[in-house]
Amino acid sequence: MDTLISNLSLGFSVALGLQNLGLAFVGCMVGTLIGVLPGVGPVATIAMLLPVTFSLDPVGALIMLAGIYYGAQYGGSTTAILVNIPGEATSVVTALDGHAMARRGRAGAALGIAAIGSFFAGTVATMLIAALGAPLTKAALLFGPTEYFSLMVMGLIFAVVLAGGSILKALAMIMLGLLLSTVGTDLETGDQRMTFGQPFLWDGIDFAVLAMGVFGIAEILRNLGQPEDRDLVRGTIGRLLPSQAEMRQSLAPILRGTLLGSAFGILPGNGAVLAPFASYAVEKKLAADPSRFGKGAIEAVAGPESANNAGAQTSFIPLLTLGIPANAVMALMVGAMTIQGIIPGPQVMTGNPSLFWGMIASMWIGNLMLLVINLPLVGVWVKLLQVPYRLLFPVILLFCCIGIYSINGQVTDVLFIGLFGLAGFILIRCGFEPAPMLLGFVLGKLMEENLRRALILSRGSLTTFVTEPISAGLLAVSSILLVAAIVPNIRRGREEAFAE
Amino acid sequence: MREHDTQPGGAAPDSPVRVSQNLAGGLILVALAAIALWLLSDLNAGTLGAMGSALMPRVLAVGLGLLGALVAASSFFHQGPVLEHLPLRGPSLVILAIVIFAATIRPLSLGSVSLPGFGLIVAAPLSIIICGFATREARLRELVVLALALTPTCMVLFGDLLNLTIPMLPDALMDLFPEGWSQKAMLRVSAATMLAVAALLFFSGARSATDDAKAKD
Repeated sequence: MDTLISNLSLGFSVALGLQNLGLAFVGCMVGTLIGVLPGVGPVATIAMLLPVTFSLDPVGALIMLAGIYYGAQYGGSTTAILVNIPGEATSVVTALDGHAMARRGRAGAALGIAAIGSFFAGTVATMLIAALGAPLTKAALLFGPTEYFSLMVMGLIFAVVLAGGSILKALAMIMLGLLLSTVGTDLETGDQRMTFGQPFLWDGIDFAVLAMGVFGIAEILRNLGQPEDRDLVRGTIGRLLPSQAEMRQSLAPILRGTLLGSAFGILPGNGAVLAPFASYAVEKKLAADPSRFGKGAIEAVAGPESANNAGAQTSFIPLLTLGIPANAVMALMVGAMTIQGIIPGPQVMTGNPSLFWGMIASMWIGNLMLLVINLPLVGVWVKLLQVPYRLLFPVILLFCCIGIYSINGQVTDVLFIGLFGLAGFILIRCGFEPAPMLLGFVLGKLMEENLRRALILSRGSLTTFVTEPISAGLLAVSSILLVAAIVPNIRRGREEAFAE
Repeated sequence: MREHDTQPGGAAPDSPVRVSQNLAGGLILVALAAIALWLLSDLNAGTLGAMGSALMPRVLAVGLGLLGALVAASSFFHQGPVLEHLPLRGPSLVILAIVIFAATIRPLSLGSVSLPGFGLIVAAPLSIIICGFATREARLRELVVLALALTPTCMVLFGDLLNLTIPMLPDALMDLFPEGWSQKAMLRVSAATMLAVAALLFFSGARSATDDAKAKD
């Protein structure tokens, strides 16, 4: 306990420095600004703004990126409530009742409770990260390549099970992502794989390029093909502070949402995506009058928003303790850390404590700032949402081009976001979800490296993955999950959860 | 933009076959897997104890091919959603805008063709205007104002405040400035000029619009 307090006070002493405070503020602000734009989720926002942090010191850069992440998340919720366009999967649920509230003239209360719930969830999640950081890091040191490989297999299986739609298609997307990650020079043998002899592919495909193509450009193409149906709330936003009765109604959902979100967020394989859905289902089951749901029930905003934010934050845990990015946002964080010369993993906490704890402390500060910045600025976001899409998408496209060009100064990177955007768009039109592909890509290199090492240690015997106890346990969990997802009965329940 | 407004409910009436999403998607994946296997053909897979460079990608490619084949095969058992007509206007103009940005941002030489670098001051407006026409609702004047306002903002933000190394101005323009001007001063002056033109266009446009309205009254 003492060490926890001393660690946190070290963190706050770093994060409360004038410069870092300013960076957290700017990060939250810019993140919200871009995240509010319809059709721009956190991944595209971070990829676009990555270059902005290049000139900063490592601590400052990561603090700012974390701020951008929370800002983008919150911006997505704002868009979901005000115009019923969820920027990403996790705010789909918020759009249901949040937008219904907004139509009844309670947009202010919906935004307010989303901010309050998120702040509470963020506070709890920050404490959780601080408390779990040290023990999990110790546990991580016990992990060898065999265990790491099995853990990543589990993460991928989670992603398959949690993705909406066909399991077969999700598996295929993961395979494609893994395959794409093997493009480039093989570090062990020096062989060039699938590079077409082109020098710009020797280092492999850059994650930011793939992410921006699939989440930035493909999203523009998808939106262009759809008739614009922007249902912007007209009239008043109403007062932002929820009434006392509403606060009382929301208290328990916030608590439950925070718990669910924190638990789901820690899971490897983008568990955070499921947290808001789970919270919505739980609140609907527990509600005295479930028929209110979908028509503007405040619990249905408070619970899922808290779950969303808690999950967003605890998904940092696998990255900070094990060095495994659990989703596309965390993979961009890996990219940012690598550029700053930090290799994510258990050694960061011991080797660079001021960075580790400073970042954790800044998470809490970031959440507080969101509360302070967003509520007074709602009017600005509403103005921004009135800009028609025909003027927004050229801006998004330009930011994508500038952002990706400034990362490496490579013209080929710019061309590749176009190529991946087009490819992603075609896959989307064929009914494939790109998110599992990104996760496969993120984990691919780490998986191959660990597989190779594990097999060297076991002298080429694949049985090592089931004879080592930890690894066997992880693989058992994965196979149970996969079987459960395929068995028709449970599958129907899963589809219902997504249909809601 | 509204390609499928005219063709509600799936494939175009004039298309001879209704291809399901699963069939098309599955076959694309099989093709990708085949390309990967072909590219990997001259690499060594090694053994499990000493993995060669081709082992993991080859296994993955085979897996991808099998899954793709399964997805394609599933379309014969139940049809599933039908692949809609791919719109042409949006994707081709967006991709063209990206290519133009890449071609003009810095000097380019492709075989016998070579272009001087024009920098952001040319690349950004070109790509904004071209990609703006990806939707049928595009209005040229509006896009020109957007391009003239957004470009200088980006120039100042990325070049001046954040010091990112993006080429900003073409050499020809920089030669026009008097001797001894710093890069940043040139950047600021060009940005200010563009902003002024944008403001002029915007307000003259607004005035002519109100004049029209008055004339109608």
